[in-house]
Amino acid sequence: MLQQRLIEALGTDAVKTAPEDLAVYAFDAYSQGVMPAAVVLPASTREVAAAVKIANDCGEPVIPRGAGTGLCGGAIPARGGVIFSFARMNRVLEVDARNRRARVQPGLINLDLSKHVAKAGMFYAPDPSSQKVSTIGGNIGTNAGGPHCLSYGTTVNHVLELEIVDENGDVILTSLDDIGYDLTGVLVGSEGTLGIVTSAWVRLLRQPETVRVWLAAFDDVHAASAAVTGIIGAGIIPTALEMMDQVMLPAIEAAFHAGYPTDAAAVLLIESAGFEDEMNLHESEISRVVKEHHATTWRAAKSEAERDALWAGRKGALGATGRIAPNYYIQDVVVPRTKLPQALQAVADACEPQGIIAGNVFHAGDGNLHPLLMYDRGDPKQVAAVIEAGNQILGAAVDLGGTISGEHGIGYEKRDTLRRIFSTDDLATMSRVREVFDPKRRLNPEKIFPAGIGCAEVQ
Amino acid sequence: MIVKSIDALRETLERCDREGLKVLIEGGKTLAGMGPALPRADVSIATTGLNKMLAHESADLTCSAQSGMRVAHLNEALAKHGQFVPIDVPLRKKATIGGSLAAGWPGPRRHFYGRARDFVIGSQVCLADGTLASAGGMVVKNVSGYNMDKLYIGSFGTLAVFTHLNFKTLPIPKKRRALIAPLPEATRPRAIAQIASMAVVPAAAFCVEGFGKNVDGSDDIDGRVLLYFEGTEELLERATLDARSALGKAGVPETTIIDTGASESFDRTLDACIANKRGRSITYRLFGLPGTVEERAVRLRDACNRHELFTDVLFDVMNGDVFVRASERDATRFSEKIATCHAELRELEPRCAIVAGDSAARASFEPWGAVPPGIEKMRALKARFDPHGTLNPGRFIGGI
Ligand SMILES: Cc1cc2nc3c(=O)[nH]c(=O)nc-3n(C[C@H](O)[C@H](O)[C@H](O)COP(=O)(O)OP(=O)(O)OC[C@H]3O[C@@H](n4cnc5c(N)ncnc54)[C@H](O)[C@@H]3O)c2cc1C
Ligand SMILES: Cc1cc2nc3c(=O)[nH]c(=O)nc-3n(C[C@H](O)[C@H](O)[C@H](O)COP(=O)(O)OP(=O)(O)OC[C@H]3O[C@@H](n4cnc5c(N)ncnc54)[C@H](O)[C@@H]3O)c2cc1C
Repeated sequence: MLQQRLIEALGTDAVKTAPEDLAVYAFDAYSQGVMPAAVVLPASTREVAAAVKIANDCGEPVIPRGAGTGLCGGAIPARGGVIFSFARMNRVLEVDARNRRARVQPGLINLDLSKHVAKAGMFYAPDPSSQKVSTIGGNIGTNAGGPHCLSYGTTVNHVLELEIVDENGDVILTSLDDIGYDLTGVLVGSEGTLGIVTSAWVRLLRQPETVRVWLAAFDDVHAASAAVTGIIGAGIIPTALEMMDQVMLPAIEAAFHAGYPTDAAAVLLIESAGFEDEMNLHESEISRVVKEHHATTWRAAKSEAERDALWAGRKGALGATGRIAPNYYIQDVVVPRTKLPQALQAVADACEPQGIIAGNVFHAGDGNLHPLLMYDRGDPKQVAAVIEAGNQILGAAVDLGGTISGEHGIGYEKRDTLRRIFSTDDLATMSRVREVFDPKRRLNPEKIFPAGIGCAEVQ
Repeated sequence: MIVKSIDALRETLERCDREGLKVLIEGGKTLAGMGPALPRADVSIATTGLNKMLAHESADLTCSAQSGMRVAHLNEALAKHGQFVPIDVPLRKKATIGGSLAAGWPGPRRHFYGRARDFVIGSQVCLADGTLASAGGMVVKNVSGYNMDKLYIGSFGTLAVFTHLNFKTLPIPKKRRALIAPLPEATRPRAIAQIASMAVVPAAAFCVEGFGKNVDGSDDIDGRVLLYFEGTEELLERATLDARSALGKAGVPETTIIDTGASESFDRTLDACIANKRGRSITYRLFGLPGTVEERAVRLRDACNRHELFTDVLFDVMNGDVFVRASERDATRFSEKIATCHAELRELEPRCAIVAGDSAARASFEPWGAVPPGIEKMRALKARFDPHGTLNPGRFIGGI
């Protein structure tokens, strides 16, 4: 019935029903859900709306999905339903260079947008490390961040207008410039639980005149962390300020030949962008600060190729973990940046006693840690140990005044941990928004909210 | 009444909500002229007693302050550690941070720093039923749960009352400079095109026609341009060369450089946006794209002129906002003329709002532009957050 009606509305090519096809959509980059009832690949907003109505008629929930690179089970079917894949809605619809904005479809790959507008001297700022595969729709769903969000801000700062299909299959336009409540701001980061994004106007930035990338290596992570605080304390907000530790450096270097020193305890990758004169100033200030903190190596990328190589290592870091262990479990906690040393210590304290190797590659400037706990999925003991250590790290971040997710989102995996930072009243208030947009919990159910929050569930 | 503690705020709101009393929330009251003539209420609650800085983690570039703190006080406190939050509001010595964020307008430096909304990293609000609810936190990056701050920002106190707000801060720019030049209408389109493509982007850029007394004390009504730069010495030197050559190409012969008093020039321009002539003026704000700002400003001015109203115009070259003040010497004639002119302006610009004008002049017409497409969801949100319509009833668009 469901499958038949979807096929009638969207055509055979746009509906997947074979078990081997559906199985692929039970996962995201981190976790597994159950098999969906169907997968649709709509080609237009109209088709999205039609498919939502059919899913409603058949009592099936709706799960929007981008590239499935999410790391919290946000795009998995938790209890079946229809997956909406945007692989066929992946175009740049319009570039408005004068007003520096572009209208895009949700399935557009993040990096493709910057490539598309590069000739016009512009770029799209949010750059998750997954930007070669992850989609603008998924980035909006998770309010994705990335290395350059330190100075440019996360996805929510770059979305101007949205077209969404709501739980009833109706199309709604929202704009940051509307007089009225900021629905756009609330929709970004709502992980597909408030509406399905079918197109978006996003902000474009002008490419800077000069980009400089520097590398600083240290004998000890504490010194590196102190240098991070020192740089920012000196009144400089670089465009990116990333850290990699001694576990990750050899693995990344072996995989990418990025030119990182493999014997350092920590490496900072620092990028600044702007005008030539300003960059000279930044260079002398930053080099002064890192030397004060006893940097063992300090060097500037001399060419665009060298710059790209330094970044390729950082952006590909997760892929290099295969050299250390078959699997990794990535955490995504944030602490006030002055608490980085304590947070890194807490990661070590959580992992070492259990014999877990933990690597760190993260957005140091934001205080956003990504401990990578290495393990082997085949060994249940290791799995249990990693989950336990991950929990301990979350707890430590909260104790340090931080939060449990900086950019990956809550999804299915972290929903119970939300209680660690929010009271029942806080969560029930968020749930009021959910009840307005999706009273029947048809949109991406079982995500974000811990069980037992919200009236809808009690009914 | 002025509430002095969160408990007092909670108790008052909870009691009013239970007893069916309507509550007006007040900050610095600088925007009392925005929206409809203030609705009748049983109780007004002023937040100005909640005015403490709760934390300034200067090394983390974050701070937390109570909502009744004045915008100028917040930035004075932050300046002790060389930091600030770019909240561009008129009358910042009076305006509170809670009121400013509740009004939530993006200021003229938004293309440069981002919107004030983008600097809020966490908040606590009190709902109509007295529930205290937090969102976000004290870290600069956070995707734990919905962006609740975004919902309250710009909601005009119709969903909840801010008790405190957490911000990320920025290092204060080393230098500020304003460049002012006469800009007759004939050369304006070319000058604007030049400004928009300058390599060093101004932190703010306005074209002003009228508002003389407010902006620079002069009474002349000829157009002028004000470019405002923030940054290092080196950057400002380069900006000055660029700006002079850009304006020169557009036929603007002379520019005046203001270093001491640059930020005051900027502030005065902001204040002008809500300047009001008692009983006989209305000031509008009209949103739109920067690419069309000049032609829209001219169209709006001409519309007012057709109704024989005196017109002051100020527009934001970088972001596209237009401010138009329509006035007339005689109060009676003013109210006759403005009624028809108002309808025409609303027609021309659906995203329009009255931002200043006496209640008497505003009383008889709809102060907001067209309702946005999401209005049904907005109404549903209001009903879910404030089911008894206790908070600022009728203050916002669509009668919310
Ligand atoms: C190697 C690697 C590196 C990563 N690095 C980063 C990083 O640096 N920063 C970062 O933030 N994240 C990072 N991530 C996580 C992930 O890439 C991001 O969360 C990304 O935004 C997900 O995009 P996606 O297209 O894969 O979306 P999916 O994973 O398919 O979906 C993510 C969420 O968005 C919702 N969604 C998808 N499309 C829509 C739509 N059209 N409308 C409404 N909701 C929708 C889904 O329901 C789901 O809840 C990384 C992941 C990997 C595997
Ligand atoms: C040119 C221009 C530029 C502007 N730029 C910006 C900008 O960049 N950023 C920005 O934020 N604003 C901006 N504004 C609007 C600005 O918010 C107001 O001018 C003023 O700062 C409001 O503060 P107030 O304390 O006087 O509020 P009031 O006038 O007292 O109140 C304004 C509204 O907020 C409500 N309110 C007051 N306190 C609270 C509270 N604690 N919780 C909930 N609701 C409350 C009131 O009920 C009322 O509806 C701009 C305005 C103009 C004209």
